[in-house]
Amino acid sequence: MNMRTLFVWSLLFSSLLMGCERQEAFPNRPITLVCPWSPGGGTDQVSRQMAYFLEAELGTPCTVINATGGQGVTGHRRGMMARPDGYTIAVITFELNTLHHQSLTTLTYEDMIPLISVNEDAAAIWVPADSPWQTLDDLVADIKANPGSLTASGTATGGAWHLAFAGWLQSAGLETTAVKWIPKGGADPSVQELMSGGIDLVCCSLPEAKQYYDRGELRALGVMAEETVPGFEDIKTMREQNFDWVLVGWRGFAVPPGTPQDRVDVLRTAMQKIVSGEVVIDDKSFPKFMDQRGFNNRWRTSDDFHEFLARNDQSLGKLLNSDAFASLAEGAVGPYDFPMLLGLLLSGLVIAQVVISRRIQTPAITDQESLETSTQSENVSSSIINVLFGLGMVLLYILLAETVGFLVLTAGLLVMFLWKLGTKLTSAAVITIILVPLVYYLFAVILRVPLPRGWWGV
Amino acid sequence: MELQTALLDVLSLETLLTILLCGVFGLFVGSIPGLTATMAVALIVPVTFYLSDISAIAAIVTLTAVCIFSGDIPTTLLRIPGTPSSAAYVDDAYALRQQGRYADALSTSLMFSVTGGLFGTLILFLCAPQLAVLARQFGTYEYFWLYALGLSCAAIVSGDSRLKGAIALLVGILFSLVGLSEVHSEPRFAFGSEELISGVHFIPALIGLFGVSEVLRGLWASGGKDAVTTYSDLLNVQQEGFSFAQQISHWLSRISRRPWQTLRSCSLGTLIGMIPGAGADIAAWMSYTFSKRSSSTPEEYGKGSEDGLADASAANNSSLAGAWIPALVLGIPGDSVTAILIGVLMMKNINPGPDIFTQPEQVTLIYGIYISFIVANLFLIPLGYVGIRASGFILKVPQRVLLPVILLFCIVGSYAISSSLFDVAVMLFFGLLGFFLERYRYPLGPVVLGLLLGADLEASFVQNLTKDRSLLAFFSRPLAAVLGIACLFIWLTPALSAALRKKPTVLEE
Repeated sequence: MNMRTLFVWSLLFSSLLMGCERQEAFPNRPITLVCPWSPGGGTDQVSRQMAYFLEAELGTPCTVINATGGQGVTGHRRGMMARPDGYTIAVITFELNTLHHQSLTTLTYEDMIPLISVNEDAAAIWVPADSPWQTLDDLVADIKANPGSLTASGTATGGAWHLAFAGWLQSAGLETTAVKWIPKGGADPSVQELMSGGIDLVCCSLPEAKQYYDRGELRALGVMAEETVPGFEDIKTMREQNFDWVLVGWRGFAVPPGTPQDRVDVLRTAMQKIVSGEVVIDDKSFPKFMDQRGFNNRWRTSDDFHEFLARNDQSLGKLLNSDAFASLAEGAVGPYDFPMLLGLLLSGLVIAQVVISRRIQTPAITDQESLETSTQSENVSSSIINVLFGLGMVLLYILLAETVGFLVLTAGLLVMFLWKLGTKLTSAAVITIILVPLVYYLFAVILRVPLPRGWWGV
Repeated sequence: MELQTALLDVLSLETLLTILLCGVFGLFVGSIPGLTATMAVALIVPVTFYLSDISAIAAIVTLTAVCIFSGDIPTTLLRIPGTPSSAAYVDDAYALRQQGRYADALSTSLMFSVTGGLFGTLILFLCAPQLAVLARQFGTYEYFWLYALGLSCAAIVSGDSRLKGAIALLVGILFSLVGLSEVHSEPRFAFGSEELISGVHFIPALIGLFGVSEVLRGLWASGGKDAVTTYSDLLNVQQEGFSFAQQISHWLSRISRRPWQTLRSCSLGTLIGMIPGAGADIAAWMSYTFSKRSSSTPEEYGKGSEDGLADASAANNSSLAGAWIPALVLGIPGDSVTAILIGVLMMKNINPGPDIFTQPEQVTLIYGIYISFIVANLFLIPLGYVGIRASGFILKVPQRVLLPVILLFCIVGSYAISSSLFDVAVMLFFGLLGFFLERYRYPLGPVVLGLLLGADLEASFVQNLTKDRSLLAFFSRPLAAVLGIACLFIWLTPALSAALRKKPTVLEE
C-alpha cells in the first residue's frame, strides 16, 4: 500500500518535471522529418543532410524517419497530418502534385504550409552508350515505325518519370502508349534493367543517372529543363530540339496546417540559411553536398514556392485528367489477376489439406505443445482470459499512446500486466521504474526513434 | 606498399575504436526485433562525416556483420527472429534451446557467421569485377525465377508437411499484395484506408508472427497456474558448461566434417548477396534447403539440426560481402545498406565504379575495405561470445516478468520502423494470425518469406508480361532459362516422386 502511493507519487513527480520544459522557446524537443521514400535514395539523402544542418542550426536533435510505401502517399500523409506543433516536418516531393489527381489521396498542396523547396532536377531520356539513336528525332522515327514495341522504364506506373515520358511523347505528337512502360520501383533498378538489356530506354532525373553518364555508359538524348543544366552542358533541352515539354522533379519541406506562425518562421529562416550555404560545419555546407551529389540546388521559399506548387498542380492535373492518360493507367495485367491466380491455387491446396487430414489422423499434440498439455485440460478459460488480457494491453496502447504519451502509458500498462501475471505490485513497480525509462533512453535518446508524445510531451 | 598503408590505416587507434563501438552498438540493435541494420547504418551516417574514409567504411562493415549475427540471439532464446534472415532456422535454433543447448546453437551460428563473412571477403577480394558482370545480367525474367526459387525453398523445407508449407507461403504472398504496388495504378485490398495503401509493413508483421504469437502462447500455457516458472525450470534442464576453447574446437570439428557443405553455403550466400534486391534472407533459405536436401539426416531439420543452422548462418553472413560487389564495381546498391554506403562514399569523394580498382589512389582504400571486413569478422568472435554469455540470463527470468517485457519490446520495435501506431496494429493482427497458425501446426517461416518477396514476385511477373505476353518469354534469356528450369525441377520433384511411389500420402512427409 505504501509502496503503491510512493509509486504513484513518483510517476506524478517525474511527469511534472518533464512538463516544466514546455514553456521554453521553440524548439526544445527533437524534431522529426518524415521522408516518404526509402533509405539510401535521393530524397532520403537530401532529407538527412537537411536534418544534419538543421540540428546544428537549431541546437536540437533532428531525426529522419522513412514512412515509405504507396508511391509516396503514406509519407506525405503522415507528415502533413502530424500534430501542428512544428516538431514534425513533412518532406514533400513532386508526387504531392500528382497523387490527388490519381485519386490516391485527398491531400493536396493546399493542405500544408510550404516552408522551402531545396532542389529541382529535370528528367532526361537516357539510352545506353552503344544505342543507335543519336537524337530525339531518331527515336521518334523509330517509335513511329514500330509503335508499341519499344520498352521504357524509370518509375512505377503513373510515377514522376512515367508522367515525364508520357508528356514528352504527347509533345512529339505520339500516342502515350506508343512505347511500353515497364513499371519499376525506382530509377536505380530501371537503370540496372537498361544495362542488362531488358529495356530500350530509361526516363529519370539527371543526378539519378549521373554516375553512368560520368563513366560514359549512358547517353541522354534530351533533358526536360528550361535551359541547359550546369554539369550536363552537352545535353540539349527538349525545347532546343523543338519539343515543347518541361518537367522538373523537386523536393521540399512543409509543416502541417495550424502550425503557429512564429515556429514556421523559425524553421523557414533556419532552412533558408542552410540552403544558401550560410551554415558551415567543418568546411561542409548544404549547397556543397548538393553539388557533390549532382543535385541541382535551385531553391524557392514562401510565396514563390507556393506559386510554383500551384502552377505544377495545374499543368500535371491537365495531363493526368486527359483521356490519353486514362488509357495509360491500364496495365497489361489487371490488378486482381495475380491475386486471383494465387487465390485459386490456395483454395486448391486448402481442399487437398482438408481431404488429407480427414484420411490421416494426425496426433493432436506435438512435443512443442507438451508444455501446455498439463494446463490445457485444467483451465482453458483462464488461458483465454490471459490471452485476451495480453491483446487488450496492445489495443490500449494503440488507442491511448498519442494522447497519454509513451512513458506514462507504458509504465501503467506494464505494471498492470506484471501484476496480472502474478508479480507482486512492489516488484512490478520496481521493474517498471527501472525498465521503462531505460527503454525510453535506449530508443528515444540513443537510437533516436521518435516515441509517441502525449500530454507531457514524452 | 598499398597493402601496408591500408593495414596501418585499419589498425589505427581511430579505426579500431570505431569498430569496437559499432560492434557493441550493432549487438544491441540486432538483438532487438524491429531494429534493423539499415536503421543502424542510417543513424551513424552523420557520424561518418567526422571519421576518416577507412573508419567510415569499417563502421558500416562492422555494424552489418554484427547485426546479422546478433539477430540470432533472440531467435534462439525467445524464438523471435531479430532479422528476417534468421527466420529460416528459427525452429532449429529454438529446438536446440529446448534441449538446453542454447549456447551450442548460438556458438554454431556465431562461428559459421564468421566463416561466411571471411569467405565472402575472400570472394570480394579475388573476383569482384568478374562477378559484377554476372550481377549485371539480372533483368526482370531472371528476377522472377530467382524470387520463385527462393519462395519455393521456404515451402519445401519448413515443417512436417509440404502442403501446409505451401498454404502458409501463399497466405504470406497474398498479404504482401495489399496496397498500391509498383506495377499497378490502383491500390488493392485497402478498403479505402490511406494507411493500407502502403501495404503491410514487413517488420511489424515479422514481430507479430513470431514475437507476439510467442507471448500469446506463453500466456495460454500459463493460464492454469501462477506463472512463476522460468524457461529453464519449465524445460527442466541445466545449461551446460561452455568455454571459448570448446567453442573453437567445436567449430573446427564441424568444418572438417563437412568442408564441402560449408563451402557450398558460403558460395551460395555470396552469389545471392551480390544480386541487387536479393539478400541475406533468400541466401539463408536457399542454403538451408540445399543443406536439408543433401543431408543424410533430413528428418532432424526443423527439430534442432546444427548442420542446417551452420549452413544457413554461413550463407547469410557471406551474402553481406556479396552485396558490396555490385556496389563497389558498378555503383549499384545490392541492398539498402549498400545504398547508404554509396551515399557515404560519394560524400567522401570516392566514386564507386570500375575505376575504383584501377586508380592508384583508390587501391589503398580497396585494400582497406578488405582488411576492415576481416578485422570486423574476427572481432565478432569475442564480441559474440560476450553477447551469448550475457544474454543467457534471459532464461533465468521468470516467465511472468519476461512475457510483459517481450511484449513491450515488440510494441516499441514495431513502432520504431516508421513511427506509426498503425504498424503496432499490424503487429497485433499478425500476432493473432501466428498464434492460430501455430495451433493448427502451420509453419510460420514461409509466411514471412512470402510477405518479404511476394510483392517482388508479382512485380517481376507483371513486368515480364508487359514486355511480352507469351509465357515462353520467361525462358528467353540464357540465365533466365537456367533459373527457370531449376525452379520447375523443384516444383515437379514431389509430384514425380509421388507418381513413382504411387502413394497418395506422400505430401505428408
